[in-house]
This record gives sequence, structure tokens and C-alpha cells, in this order.
Amino acid sequence: MTTRTRYFVITSLLVMFVGVGTGLVAYYVGIPGGVLSQQAGIEDLKILPSDAQLVAYANVRDVMDSELRRKVRNALPIAGQGQQEIEDRTGINIENDIDEVLACLAPSRGAQMPASVLVVAQGRFDTSRIEGLMRQAGAHVEEYNGARLIVASDTSRPSTDQSPALSSADTFSVAFVAPGKVALGSRSLIRAAIDQKTSGPGVTGNVELMRLVRSFDGGDAWAVGRFDALASQARLPAGLSSRLPAITWFAANAEVDTGVRGMLRADARDQQSADDLREVVRGFIALARLQIASQPELKVLVESLSLGGTGTTVSLAYDVPGPLVDMLGSAAGIMQNRPKSTPDAK
Amino acid sequence: MITSALRIFDLSLGQMLWSRRSVFLALLAGGPVGLALGIRVILLLTPAQLPMVNGARMSGTAIFGLIIWLLYLRFIIPVLGAFYGTSLIADEVEDKTITYLFTRPIPRGAVLVGKYLAYLLCTILLVLPSAVIVYFIVTPLGGGSIGEQFPSLLSDLGMLAVGLAAYGALFALVGATFKRPLVVGLVFTFGWEPGVLIFPGYLKHATIAFYLQALVPHAMPNEESVVGGILQLFNEIPPLETSLASLAGITLVALWLASRATQTREFVLDQ
Repeated sequence: MTTRTRYFVITSLLVMFVGVGTGLVAYYVGIPGGVLSQQAGIEDLKILPSDAQLVAYANVRDVMDSELRRKVRNALPIAGQGQQEIEDRTGINIENDIDEVLACLAPSRGAQMPASVLVVAQGRFDTSRIEGLMRQAGAHVEEYNGARLIVASDTSRPSTDQSPALSSADTFSVAFVAPGKVALGSRSLIRAAIDQKTSGPGVTGNVELMRLVRSFDGGDAWAVGRFDALASQARLPAGLSSRLPAITWFAANAEVDTGVRGMLRADARDQQSADDLREVVRGFIALARLQIASQPELKVLVESLSLGGTGTTVSLAYDVPGPLVDMLGSAAGIMQNRPKSTPDAK
Repeated sequence: MITSALRIFDLSLGQMLWSRRSVFLALLAGGPVGLALGIRVILLLTPAQLPMVNGARMSGTAIFGLIIWLLYLRFIIPVLGAFYGTSLIADEVEDKTITYLFTRPIPRGAVLVGKYLAYLLCTILLVLPSAVIVYFIVTPLGGGSIGEQFPSLLSDLGMLAVGLAAYGALFALVGATFKRPLVVGLVFTFGWEPGVLIFPGYLKHATIAFYLQALVPHAMPNEESVVGGILQLFNEIPPLETSLASLAGITLVALWLASRATQTREFVLDQ
């Protein structure tokens, strides 16, 4: 064997051994998310609690800057009172200050509420203004594990028979967990998030949930969660809940530009349940196709519905194209501008 | 026999690596790496994102699976087998240098076995690192995990090595038997295999790709595209044990027959 042949063999074996060795280390120990990874939000997911039942994400910047939003705003001018109220109370302008939002639903650490929401927003925040405004409303500041926790006053929500007073663990709080990153939610969940920053994989340790999250990387908005959590929060009628096929996980995503397209996905408990669900969805699509005979403008939307998935997975892809949004927008505008009929007018 | 084969192996490895044909080999092995780098650079430098399939964004793992299916399994492995396997003996005949090998005090069969081992090492040393590099470039895209997918990389490497061994042995037999072996090899690779795999029936059992696709750990692409549609035509996969046994059988029988053909065939050199 000549020297250059020997060098070639050594180099080639080296590439293989380094590759396989790195893979082996990653398999057993794990590699930090930032290394080689493109998914920007993965680090944020680590601060969400590991028992989160539902995780949702929105790229607020993309959605706010999209053509779709411009069309919707033109068609349905919204006064924006809710946004203004949030801005007045916290100093956060949703349109300009927030880039991305990650939210989760987790079992409450407090006694009163069955589940709590934690929201982690990334953007540009005036921390002193937010703290000042919340203090004016009676909030107090706590130091927890190196982070400042602004705990709202629970006197703002009086106790009634229907809604008992919140325990201190359930009190609404705000914390700046990293530069440009604010966490909003119950005090106990925010404390857990601050702890999670330095220890534990958080929700990224949930393999099933992460498998679905990764399939939606890059989308403008997505939500993934356990179906039982969604059903309990949505308070579906008992009859309907019992008749639904056994779904374990659900997921949805949306990609926004001039229109909106995405996918709804459900993982059933077994093959039979998945087949049943597929039949139900197929039935609804068939019904919709029958209806478009009288409403041809909706043909594009109905024809974009594509039922898919294999095994226990059922998926439904959808696409609402820009022209259809324009048309729906015009229809909504006409409805808004139509004078309201009064008894006198009859 | 083994000592003789190892001597031929040592001699042939250098010849094979530094021949003009190696440029072709390097291009084949480097193609997927270039493609993977291209995808990565485009995603880094532009706002472009991975394509959507049925409303869900493709992951790096899915792209790696696609590269394995379309580039390595359907193209690189059979083509390398055809080009190198058929040339093991045919090149020596064409260059009229086979006389020098056959006049040595070594069994003729050992010449073929030694050259086959050199082919196997040469192609494995180029193709497997190429697949490893592609894996590390592509898998992390879209939040894919290197660690989670690592077992599938090992399966891929094993599948590629087994494929190179099987195709190489079969085409070594073709090279030792036919006068125009490359034509036969290319007809088998691009005519017989894809053609037969499409049709229902038992003819597909007379291909290597049929058994090899059972070893691929990635799901066969099933999107509603032309490529996915074509691949779905081949979507009949035998059990893993059957595939491994069949590939081992094809390799050993083809190599034995090739060695026997080299031993018994009278090679007439054009004057």
C-alpha cells in the first residue's frame, strides 16, 4: 500500500469514526440544541414545564407583517381596544414589541385551578415601564433564583362563590427570564420556568410532543397537545366527548402569507379509532363538496382539503388562498356596512 | 488462496483509488454532500424554508431519508457497482495486462476475489463517509435530532455496505462472463431493475434493489409528487431476514461463480 493510499484510508476511516462517535455521544448523552440545529425556539421550549399538556407557538412578527393581516384589517377594521388596554397596563405593544410567543397549558401548582397558562414572549420590552405600571396596580416585586418576579395584586380579582380567590401560587405574575424575553403566567409556573432554565430538559423531554413540534418547525403558528387536555378546557358537551374517536394527540399549524395554509393532525389510540376518524372527516368533506354546488366561490377551499396520514395518524391539509381571503373580506365588509334593520323600518 | 487474494487486493487498491475512474467515483460520492451543503447554505443565507408536504414542513430527517432513497439506493450504489464491478477483469483484458496476473503462481480465482475486496474497500471508504457527512449537514435542519436518528444512520451505513457488496459481486460475475460487461451492467441497473420492480409478480425477486429496500430505515417518500408516485410503485418490501439472507446468498453465489468463470474462461486478447 502506497503512502497516499494509506493517508486516504486513514482520513476516510477518521471521518467515519468521528461521525459515528459523535452520533453515539448524541444518542446516549445528547447534544445541546444550538449545535448544528436550526430550530430557534427549541431553547425556549426548555423553560416550559415538562408536564405541559398543550404547547402553542406564534411568530407574531410574521403574522403582523403578512399580507393576510393587512387584508383582514382592511376588511374588518378593529378598534384595537384590547391591545390598547394591554399596552396601558403593561407597556407592551403587541404589534410592535413582540416577535414570537410560546405558550403552554400545564396542570396548576395551586389548589384552585385545574390548569394554568404560561406565556413566553420574545421581543423588545421596556422593563422599568412594565414594572412601574404593574406596581401602580398594586403588584409587588420578588427576587427568585436571580430573576425579578412581578407578582400582581390578587385583590384585583375578588372572591365569589363561582370563582374563589386565587392562592398565592396561582397569582398572575410577570418575569424577565432573559434579555428580550418575558414570561407571563401563574406565580408557580413562572418560578418553575426560572428553575427549568438551568436544570432539566423541560418539555423537550416529552418525546411524543416534541416529535409533533419538530414536524411544524418554521411555521408561523402551531399548537400541539394532548386531546384530553383540549377537550377538558374546551368544555365540550358530554355527549360529544364520548362519541369522538379515541384521540391521544392533536396538532395544528398555519403558514400565513397572502392566504393561510396548514394542517390539522390527530393521533388516534389505535388503528380502528384512526379509521373511524378518517371516515368521519371524509364524510364532512363529502358534505362540504355537496354544498359548494350552490356556493362555487368556496370550491377552492373545499378542494384544498386533503385527507392524509397513515396508521394511527389522521391529517387534514387545508389552503385558504389569497383571492379567497379577498372575497371573504369583501363579503364581511358588505355585511358590516349593511344598515341594521330596526322594527320601525319594517 | 486467501494470501494470494490479499496480495492482489493490496496491489489493486492503489490502482483503483488513483485511476481516472476515481474522478467519477469522487463526483458520485461528493454529489450528495454538495447537495446537502447547498440546501444548508440556501436556508442560512435566504429566508427560504424547507418545503411543506401536506401542510407539515419537511424535516431534515425526511430530507436525509429522501437522499438515501433517491441518490444512494437508486443511483450511486448500483452505478458504482456497475462501473467498478464490471471492470475488475474487463479492464485487465482490455489493457492486455491480464496475462501478467495469470502467469503468476496464484489461482486465477484469487485475482478476482482480491480485486473485488479492493473494490469493496475503495467504494465503502468513499460512500460511507459521504453519507455520514450528509447526515450531519441535513439532519439538524428543521429541528431534527442527531442523537434520535443515530440508529437509522447505522442502519443506512450497513445497508450501503451490503448494497455495494451485492452489486459489486453481481457485476464482477457479469465482468468475468460477458464481453461487453458495462453495457449489460447499465441495462440491468437502469432497465431491468426499475422496470421489473414496477410490475406485479415474482420477477422483482430477480433484482437486488427489491431486497435492499427492506434494509432502509426511512419511510419510502409518499408525498403526492411525481417522485413520490414513482417510488410508491416499488412499495413492496420483503421481510428483513429474507432480504439479508437473499443479499448474502446473491453476494456469495455471484462471487463464487465469478471466481469460477475467471478460473475456467479462456480470455482471448485482441491483437
